[in-house]
Amino acid sequence: MRKLGIALALASSVGASGCVQTRQFADVQFTPPQGDYRLLVMRPDVVVNSLTTGGMPQPRADWSEQARGNIINALRSQQAERGGKMLILARRNELPGISPEQVADLERLHDAVGNSIALHKYTGAALPTKRGKGLEYTLGEDAVALGRKSGYDYALFVHAEDNIASTGRIALQVVGMAGCIIGFCAPSGGSNQFAYASLVDLRTGEVVWFNVLQTGSQLPGVKFGDIRTPAGADQMVERLVGRMKPGKEVHKAAEVR
Amino acid sequence: MCMRCFELSRRSMLIGGGVLASSLATGVAQARIRPAEMVPLIGPAFRPTDTDEKGLWSQMDRVEEEVAGSNLLIKDPALVSYLQDIIGRVGGPAARDMRIYLAHVPDFNAMMFPSGFAVVFSGLLLRMRNEAQLAGVVAHESGHFLRRHMIRSWRDMKRKSDIFAIGAMAAGLGGAGAGVYLGDYVQLAQLGTIMSLFQYSRAMEAEADAMGAKLIAEAGYPPIEMANVWQQLIGEDANSARYRRKQRRRGSLFDTHPSPDSRMADLRISAAEVTVPGRAYDSGRARYLSKIAPIRQMLLDDQVKLNDPGASAYLLETLAADGWNGLLRYYEGEVWRLRNRVGDDARAAQSYAVAVAYPDAPPEAWRSHGLALLREGRGGEAKSALARYLQMKPAAPDAPFIRQMIG
Repeated sequence: MRKLGIALALASSVGASGCVQTRQFADVQFTPPQGDYRLLVMRPDVVVNSLTTGGMPQPRADWSEQARGNIINALRSQQAERGGKMLILARRNELPGISPEQVADLERLHDAVGNSIALHKYTGAALPTKRGKGLEYTLGEDAVALGRKSGYDYALFVHAEDNIASTGRIALQVVGMAGCIIGFCAPSGGSNQFAYASLVDLRTGEVVWFNVLQTGSQLPGVKFGDIRTPAGADQMVERLVGRMKPGKEVHKAAEVR
Repeated sequence: MCMRCFELSRRSMLIGGGVLASSLATGVAQARIRPAEMVPLIGPAFRPTDTDEKGLWSQMDRVEEEVAGSNLLIKDPALVSYLQDIIGRVGGPAARDMRIYLAHVPDFNAMMFPSGFAVVFSGLLLRMRNEAQLAGVVAHESGHFLRRHMIRSWRDMKRKSDIFAIGAMAAGLGGAGAGVYLGDYVQLAQLGTIMSLFQYSRAMEAEADAMGAKLIAEAGYPPIEMANVWQQLIGEDANSARYRRKQRRRGSLFDTHPSPDSRMADLRISAAEVTVPGRAYDSGRARYLSKIAPIRQMLLDDQVKLNDPGASAYLLETLAADGWNGLLRYYEGEVWRLRNRVGDDARAAQSYAVAVAYPDAPPEAWRSHGLALLREGRGGEAKSALARYLQMKPAAPDAPFIRQMIG
């Protein structure tokens, strides 16, 4: 549901032209993690669909599996550069001393909070009380408890989706564009991507950073990095979590100095 | 692929397709499907091999994990294994492969997911009068899985949306080339495509009904009970609507399911077809009641709190057709008390008084009876009724309060 909310909001803004768009929000006090930190990546949710001629996304098990591996590898090498230690959860029962239910609860709570962030930060339904305050959401005590028990400083939630236009869809796009010659322009959406990442500080429970990535084009054949390939996955991870901006106050302080 | 989830999908599709809706919303006939034609399309231990079906299943692992870990589930092992036994009896070749989860939701519904797990709502258990009725619902859901309805629906939708996309493009280009505007026809075709998807969905439901009737008859349940479920539901809907001074919803072209009326009619004929003369059928009523006994009070409690007195009163009367008891009488009183119209307090008091005359009256019946007596100024009798409540449920949350009242 959460991904749906954001996807709907951004679909309209991307659609017409071809572009790569990211939009991130951060807690005003947020400093991107550097040096000696421990990061827990919560089961990355990766799906690759084939876009049918009629425009329906058809999930592909084999492609999704391949892409999940690529995204995980890309996350690993990306984080290695930053210097942190990282564990990527594949299942809910992989944290010693923490029950799968606790992990599930945190995932569900994050779903709800993520939905709220999508609604109030991305779809334009801004809350007047949160204006100019950056990202002000928290997962509360549950997240802190999980951090204390597991010894991790941050939790990262990742969702990545790649819709790859089938041959029929590309043909439809080509015909729609060719129609412009005789005065009937019917551009239709082709391959597109949607991803988001959410960083939770497990020492405070707060969602400190959130980013949404959307790519897409109505021009047939335009691609933005196929996450079925390692290079494409690297590119998506780089766009999504590679350039974390510090929070407003941290940024200002840096400028003053 | 659920029992009656028409509301949501109908509305969302109306918004999407949204033309001529009201003018077309008339009764919908769906040809009856003969149970004899319904053979399972999959064998035991089925795993998908086609790309699209594999994709569909791959999405379901996380869904099932989420469902299995939901705190809405009723996890009473005896009850869960009872449901699993039933799917084992009416699940045809996939009997050993399907999983079933019981969700604490006070509505009449059940659904099957593409990878073979079903979710049954607790409100359904309240409405079923015997094991045969429950088996009928479970068999209907099994029917969806055995007839591969999810992937067939998906393919139907894919095919039709492809044809529409190509057709719309061709009409646009052809129109532009010839200098005529065909947009209206494209809109009409869109409506036609949407309606044909709904029609396909209704056909799948009719198949599942026919398959279900066949499965429960083979398992030795009287197949007519499936039709009886719909009769009860129609009565409940009608009563609920009447109380709210509304009309009961009839079928429309935008329904994913055939109307309850047509399902009942078809199931009656199908039941007659699959009934073998001379064979003994057992509705399993006693077994059913003993199995759900531990949660029946909770189910009734959930229902009366829905603030739908029309439906609740009808439901209680339906259940009481097999005999009134203390539990049903107590909740009859609760329906009146919560409805709170002029004279309802007296009606409720009467129900409580009758309820406590049964040996199985719940402790709460004694409390309500006592409080009603107190209001009537019959302090002495009230005290002994309330004392009885405290004796039956000494740790009740309101026990100190009641104790103080009777001093």
